[in-house]
Amino acid sequence: MKFQPVYQNGHLLLPPIEFELTVSQSVGIITDVQRKQLLLNEFKDHSQFYVFRAQQGEYMRLTIEELVTFLVRVSGRSEPVAALLDYFSLKDERKTKVRDLPSSRKMYMTLLRVYFAHQPTLVLEEPYFYLEEQERRQFKRVLDDLSRNKNVLIITSNLEDAIISCDTIYRLDGTGFRQLDIQDSEEDQPGAQEKEEQDQVNIAIQKILTKRNDKVILFDPPEIDFIESLEGSIIVHVGGELYECAMTLTELEHRLLNFGFFRCHRSYIVNLQKVREIITWTKNSYSLRLITGKDAVVPLSRSKLQELKSLLNI
Amino acid sequence: MSISLKRIQAIFIKDYKEFTRNYAISIMVLFPIVFALLYRGNESAEMGTYGFLYNFTFAMLTSFIQACLIAEEKERNTLRSMMMTPASTWDVLIGKSALVFVISSAVLAVVTYLLGSEPANIGAFLIANILSIILYSALGTICGLFSKTLLEASLSVFPVLILFTGAPFGLLLVDDVPLLKVLDYMPSSQFIELLDVMQTTSAIGEVAKPLLIMLAWTIVLTVVSVVMYQKRLKDE
Repeated sequence: MKFQPVYQNGHLLLPPIEFELTVSQSVGIITDVQRKQLLLNEFKDHSQFYVFRAQQGEYMRLTIEELVTFLVRVSGRSEPVAALLDYFSLKDERKTKVRDLPSSRKMYMTLLRVYFAHQPTLVLEEPYFYLEEQERRQFKRVLDDLSRNKNVLIITSNLEDAIISCDTIYRLDGTGFRQLDIQDSEEDQPGAQEKEEQDQVNIAIQKILTKRNDKVILFDPPEIDFIESLEGSIIVHVGGELYECAMTLTELEHRLLNFGFFRCHRSYIVNLQKVREIITWTKNSYSLRLITGKDAVVPLSRSKLQELKSLLNI
Repeated sequence: MSISLKRIQAIFIKDYKEFTRNYAISIMVLFPIVFALLYRGNESAEMGTYGFLYNFTFAMLTSFIQACLIAEEKERNTLRSMMMTPASTWDVLIGKSALVFVISSAVLAVVTYLLGSEPANIGAFLIANILSIILYSALGTICGLFSKTLLEASLSVFPVLILFTGAPFGLLLVDDVPLLKVLDYMPSSQFIELLDVMQTTSAIGEVAKPLLIMLAWTIVLTVVSVVMYQKRLKDE
């Protein structure tokens, strides 16, 4: 897949984009609102792309069963409606009108329109944004099934959402379009700064040194919820706020090991004291939910699951 | 372009359910019937009054419902979603117009029954009604495509109401303003003329002229609405 660059007032808005889109390899693109719209406008060909926009509405006065019947007929399919309702786990609500559904459920129903698409490529804008946990899981399952014989492209501004169901993730911003390496980038750290920080760290050995708005802030390890590596910078999450840290993930992992921290993903370290729940999306993808106010969710690698289980004596 | 009966039927049923559950729009069905009841016992009512009632029904019911159905789909982006299904322009437009056609025919039948007027030439009367319903639903489609929300659509019907339903009244001023003579060619004026003509004669030659003018309107408006719909389809 290839896109020409888009300029506006001599400003490069959309750099030239090129990526591979194949069946059973969902692609996620993380970008901002303006570029999201520009990018979505590129998928004009209705015979190739089914574009699901975030502001898609629904026929509010139909019941779920009537709506699914309509979608089946209008898309020229022949599946029995009852079986589909079963598959979508909507059986209990089949007599409920769409407008009477809770908002997350309503969005889930609306998202299911992609199931009926006949186009070979599905483009979804922010599919997980309005969904709650249960619907996320259900929709991920539907999308995973769909991606077996369709190309799936998810455009979102949220990394967590992309991680849920994308195999390859790209980031698109003013500096260009590149694949997101979901690894901590130890080599990328500017060396001089690192040494300087290390010296300071030796003095306040138990504190984690972070920066925000040119202020240096020190945190006690138990305060920290989790730490993530995002494009080469290390972000420390404390009570829903973000602070930048100059150390690498590996260093942090060593330092924090004795404080009950755990490297749950290549780019995440989590404070195990704050983990409330292990969420299973599918057999191979997991997340950890924290007890912090903002419902933070951290991905958990498959390979780390065993290690975590033995740590927690499960 | 392919037409699939199954898809038309699906759209028809879906719109029927949406229409009957949306009381703000389905209450419109009552207006012509209430008017008919009011005029019913009125001995002095002439063909002009009856004609006005029919024209009012076409604009306020046929155009209004069609415009609202289309605008509501646009507002919720379900029309765009439908454009991405295999349903063609014709499937969508015929499915929607069929519902409006059935509702309008039913209401007009009730109105005719209540008024108790028996047209001399039933065939010509039916053709005039069918043509009018088609041309006013095309007008409704155009209004619906122009408006972005349901609210806009319900307002956009008023120009249609004034221009089309009001045209026969404009003709009353034709002695002062000769330019208003063009209003004679509006389908609503022709509809009233047809009712007038049929009171005296049922000769084919006499009724053919109004019917032909209405047919021309129907063809032009249908083509315009279909072209506009397809243009929207490309814009989206």
